Amino acid sequence: MDALEDYVWPRATSELMLLPVTGLECVGDRLLAGEGPDVLVYSLDFGGHLRMMKRMQNLLGHYLIHGFRVRPEPNGDLDAEAMVAVFGSKGLRIVKVSWGQGHFRELWRSGLWNMSDWIWDARWLEGNVALALGHNSVVLYDPVVGCILQEVPCTDRCTLSSACLIGDTWKEVTIVAGAVSNQLLVWYPAAALADNKPVAPDRRVSGHVGVIFSMSYLESKGLLATASEDRSVRIWKVGDLRVPGGRVQSIGHCFGHSARVWQVKLLENYLISAGEDCVCLVWSHEGEILQAFRGHQGRGIRAIAAHERQTWVITGGDDSGIRLWHLVGRGYPGSGVSALSFKSHSRPGTLKAVTLAGSWRLLAVTDTGALYLYDLEIKCWEQLLEDKYFQSYCLLEAAPGPEGFGLCAMANGEGRVKVVPINTPTAAVDQTLFPGKVHSLSWALRGYEELLLLASGPGGVVACLEISAAPSGKAIFVKERCRYLLPPSKQRWHTCSTFLPPGDFLVCGDRRGSVLLFPSRPGLLKDPGVGGKAGTGTGVSGADSGSGEGGNAFVGWGPVSTLPSLHGKQGVTSVTCHGGYVYTTGRDGAYYQLFVRGGQLQPVLRQKSCRGMNWLAGLRMVPDGSMVILGFHANEFVVWSPRSHEKLHIVNCGGGHRSWAFSDTEAAMAFAYLKDGDVMLYQALGGCTRPHVILREGLHGREITCVRRVGTITLGPEFGVPSLMDPDNLEPGSEGPGLTDIVITCSEDTTVCVLALPTTTGSAHALTAVCNHISSVRAVAVWGIGTPGGSQDPRPGLTAHVVSAGGRAEMHCFSILVTPDPSTPSRLACHVMHLTSHRLDEYWDRQRNRHRMIKVDPETRYMSLAVCEFDRPGLGPLVAAACSDGAVRLFLLQNSGQFLRLFAETFHHKRCVLKVHSFTHEAPNQRRRLFLCSAATDGNLAFWDLTTVLDCGSNALEPPEDPGLPYRLGTPSLTVQAHSCGVNSLHTLPTNDGHHLVASGSEDGSIHVFMLAVEMPELEEAVGEAEMVSQLRVLEEYSVPCAHAAHVTGLKILSPSLMVSASIDQRLTFWRLGHGEPTFMNSTVYHVPDVADMDCWPVSPEFGHRCALGGQGLEVYNWYD
Amino acid sequence: MGRTSKDKRDVYYRLAKENGWRARSAFKLLQLDEQFQLFQGVTRAVDLCAAPGSWSQVLSQKIGGQGCGHVVVAVDLQAMAPIPGVVQIQGDITQLSTAKEIIQHFEGCPADLVVCDGAPDVTGLHDVDEYMQAQLLLAALNIATHVLKPGGCFVAKIFRGRDVTLLYSQLRVFFSSVLCAKPRSSRNSSIEAFAVCQSYDPPAGFTPDLTRPLLDHSYDPDFNQLDGPSRIIVPFVTCGDLSSYDSDRSYPLDLEDGSEYKYTPPTQPPISPSYQEACRLKKKGWLAKEIHPQHHPISRVDTLPQPLATPESHTLLAPEMEDN
Repeated sequence: MDALEDYVWPRATSELMLLPVTGLECVGDRLLAGEGPDVLVYSLDFGGHLRMMKRMQNLLGHYLIHGFRVRPEPNGDLDAEAMVAVFGSKGLRIVKVSWGQGHFRELWRSGLWNMSDWIWDARWLEGNVALALGHNSVVLYDPVVGCILQEVPCTDRCTLSSACLIGDTWKEVTIVAGAVSNQLLVWYPAAALADNKPVAPDRRVSGHVGVIFSMSYLESKGLLATASEDRSVRIWKVGDLRVPGGRVQSIGHCFGHSARVWQVKLLENYLISAGEDCVCLVWSHEGEILQAFRGHQGRGIRAIAAHERQTWVITGGDDSGIRLWHLVGRGYPGSGVSALSFKSHSRPGTLKAVTLAGSWRLLAVTDTGALYLYDLEIKCWEQLLEDKYFQSYCLLEAAPGPEGFGLCAMANGEGRVKVVPINTPTAAVDQTLFPGKVHSLSWALRGYEELLLLASGPGGVVACLEISAAPSGKAIFVKERCRYLLPPSKQRWHTCSTFLPPGDFLVCGDRRGSVLLFPSRPGLLKDPGVGGKAGTGTGVSGADSGSGEGGNAFVGWGPVSTLPSLHGKQGVTSVTCHGGYVYTTGRDGAYYQLFVRGGQLQPVLRQKSCRGMNWLAGLRMVPDGSMVILGFHANEFVVWSPRSHEKLHIVNCGGGHRSWAFSDTEAAMAFAYLKDGDVMLYQALGGCTRPHVILREGLHGREITCVRRVGTITLGPEFGVPSLMDPDNLEPGSEGPGLTDIVITCSEDTTVCVLALPTTTGSAHALTAVCNHISSVRAVAVWGIGTPGGSQDPRPGLTAHVVSAGGRAEMHCFSILVTPDPSTPSRLACHVMHLTSHRLDEYWDRQRNRHRMIKVDPETRYMSLAVCEFDRPGLGPLVAAACSDGAVRLFLLQNSGQFLRLFAETFHHKRCVLKVHSFTHEAPNQRRRLFLCSAATDGNLAFWDLTTVLDCGSNALEPPEDPGLPYRLGTPSLTVQAHSCGVNSLHTLPTNDGHHLVASGSEDGSIHVFMLAVEMPELEEAVGEAEMVSQLRVLEEYSVPCAHAAHVTGLKILSPSLMVSASIDQRLTFWRLGHGEPTFMNSTVYHVPDVADMDCWPVSPEFGHRCALGGQGLEVYNWYD
Repeated sequence: MGRTSKDKRDVYYRLAKENGWRARSAFKLLQLDEQFQLFQGVTRAVDLCAAPGSWSQVLSQKIGGQGCGHVVVAVDLQAMAPIPGVVQIQGDITQLSTAKEIIQHFEGCPADLVVCDGAPDVTGLHDVDEYMQAQLLLAALNIATHVLKPGGCFVAKIFRGRDVTLLYSQLRVFFSSVLCAKPRSSRNSSIEAFAVCQSYDPPAGFTPDLTRPLLDHSYDPDFNQLDGPSRIIVPFVTCGDLSSYDSDRSYPLDLEDGSEYKYTPPTQPPISPSYQEACRLKKKGWLAKEIHPQHHPISRVDTLPQPLATPESHTLLAPEMEDN
């Protein structure tokens, strides 16, 4: 083969990579992270902020990095320059870098040296490197020249699972090898009398009952730590390992992980371990757990590093995230819980309720009706007032806002409400609102202008009181503004309230789980019927009692909009307005995002909190723009961050049924609760944030199953898209307007993620994640792509409809809106609106005649999706789903995605259907025809003509066997036996001569390509009412049996003469079409294992094509056309 | 999710339990035999990495019971519950003593068939898993060179990942026919397949040596390229006919043959897995727990170090920022 062919067009180059972080190392204030074959160099400052300095690309070719060894400098100065040995798999490369004063330069890199066996450990021995190899041998290697100086095997050539090299010279070099027999072998390569003469192990140490994955030696204390498959970490007292014959003594056997332990590292005072359970544990050398760091997602933590001077631990996960944790301060900035010693002879009575007015004043009320103030700074109790009317039953609620506005409210069982200015309790105002018990109290604050107090009385009546203060500040005025009426229910009272900006409406939640919208000044509305309907005293809800308007028994204003039972029977616990959305939390373990459009509440997205936390109590926005969730998890109060998946604060308070209060500011947070007749207080600096830092966000916790590109957004220079500062690295075409591709990925971790991939910077931003699925998500399909303002609007943006499906026969439909947002790093923001969902077994549950029907197996998985769009407006689209129970199901989406129903199905394949793909056939003077192709595990392709399925009286469908069941799809137009086993990829492309190229790739590594002709009966034959039936015919057919060495999971026909395929064997291969059999052009080795899907799209003439590969990570390639 | 959900999801898992096989992999060997007639004329067979023993069960049923001279030897590092008609060796396949012991059971005769269904516990890091699987296969091949008769057959599990072509080229050195086979009972989603190597024919002058591990080949610019057109991809054969059950399909509990479903407990639960102790401790709540701050009185708020502000960082992959 000549050299010219080596550079055959097109050539794919890797553009960005998101892979598990498999190597981490701190060098001074630099952090090296290994991701695939690349090294990411970051600089860390004192605040723990990370700044990316450089991505050193392709250091290890097709190998993955498993470790770095920085050559120790005699003067100990690594701040300016360093020599780094990078190793992984069988590859080793040395690179010399200069990184002083924030400038990074790669000075020199050696060749990529390939070893004959796996490298488990490397160690600098002066100028050379010692390597511990896969079958228990040690090699002394000259990394500059690239040659073996000496190779010494052990007499026991067992396979190793880890190794650790100790010593600084070849004479003293010691290897501790972890054999597959679970033993540790200690031996001395320099004991070899002659080259290649095997050396017998000096010591064999048994203890673990599983394979050893990692070890760490602490020379100063003579300790060795090992991490194992048996989920334990062992600490051994070994003394100086370089001295043969020493005693090895097990001094600690630490069980703390709930899965295999991948990594262990000994520090002077700590032992760090991390594993498959995504937890990083900090142990003392005595085997006591000091801290647990939780937050990584997915299959575990793969790499750990420590910055001993700053006492930081840095972890790298399988989710490609990197996090920094603080070793000291026990992680929690909280000062713990302190009892406020309320009980005293001077303070009779027992406490009934507690509240926090701002972050430094606490109020509590006793069963004698006495109100006490505790100042957290002065730390003393003070009685504000005592009122016998508020004995035994008393509600207490402090006003929101900075320092609680200086107000609190009390309410009793006889309908009396007292508003107390905390500084001048004598100026308290009492009002009797109801003839019966006040069930709940809540405040609503609008800026500094309007403060409302809502009190729920009997019969679902909510009194709305307006509170204002005299200019002197000495007196307050309480005026009843109006009354609202809640929808009827057994426990008919409201639980929370807030102003909807700008302030014309109040959003309330009630005990029945409904979210309600009330006008804040209903009296100003001329006609009550417009804004809200008034209710009568008959107990009918406001919504359906318009007849009672103006009657004598006017009770209150009904809601203008209701989302009934949104949070289920346990009730709504909080409402918050932020950034144009309303957020509600409930005791159903979920939080909702809503918005108000046209005066109506509309749910946008439901999100679940962390597992097991079913009682959400509130939601807070923190200064960095993310939110935190407050809730009760068993008997603990938890502040949980959905962004970092961390429990930021845990207070063992005993549960949410007691009286509690929470307040937070940017500087501090406080949580108070009653326990054992006293007030307990938990305080923490830094509000709801915690000084653990996400250095890099993770993507998906588990494998990506599907990748779909939605579209491209062009951002002009006014959006200030960051571009590469280094002009040498500028690729042609990366100047000019910023093109950002929007890509959707879905994963086994049950989430769907919207990503922004700018073409200019080689970066990736996760815009949003949708977490509605209960099981893994296997496929997404996108349709209806447009711009927010319609085709006439030049403003950048993107809208699309998305349907996702996966395990447990579950399907979700949502819309996305991507708009420019200069405040985010990607300059884009993505708004998601959930439209509808569908589950096969749920569908069965709703059927009236279900006793006569076979319940669809709820374990059915949807393997693939295709959207079939009809050319007639208002119709469809149809979503075709490949199902694991052997069916191809067609779902009809109506009302622009708001309604999804099972329309038709076929069990033609009788085997697990793996792929569906839809395409259209257009020919002059003919109706546009819509085809669906399905493929199953037997290698069979079936083609269906769906053009007329939605027409009345169409014979494309057979009527169902039973009314209520879906239609049955008739026999396929054509079946093709393309492969001997499962079809894992499928694509079609229309050709210029009116045919279609069909390509499929299979589990057996083969690719099948054929030309499909669509023939319509001649017009003369088709006269009359008879429906035209298309005939499909295979013209040319070619098969490439050994195209890949594994499943072909990605396949795209780019043009009638070019096709690209991707496989689990990690090759991206181009094929030339159109001259008989497809011919191999070239292939590129990529780094994502287990690739499940690929999508390719043209970006621009200057930028060429882009291709995203999703599997155990994500990689984007590009090539020029 | 009840105990039947796995039965619904995986028909072969369920059939294996119902037919008394210790693992669903028994069907894989049966289907491989259907395609290649592996057991024809075989009197001496070796099952390497035999635990939990489903392949040994198949071998003993197909070969062991056929009279004198028919011997099945099963080797594994771990203990295995006994199987009638199978000689068990608890030993390491990388040791020469194990090879000698096998030959001893065959009364000095070499084996006709060596099978290996062993796989390491996958770690999730693909390159490590593929390497470990390859080493297991090569260790099996290495011991097979000691015990296999010329013309004999070797079947072993492979992971079809990035470097599987290197294994193919290594196997080609020892066998005149190497095929990649996938039984229908192996799932589409799984990367496992079986290398079926027939006609053992070691290169001239080859002397078996267990003291030296067989290493996998490296890429060769001429005949086994990393990314060029000439990679050694061996022919792929799908085993088992289309009427057999589909391992990817979810079946209702009442199968079409009319048999009524009855839950069957697993035939042979694992013997002392490595995580046993950890599970026992967890069950009793004896795993070490972190010390919560509340359990320790921490004095005053003002002694705590000033916390750090979390930077805004939703970026997965930041662009490089160089200020030179």
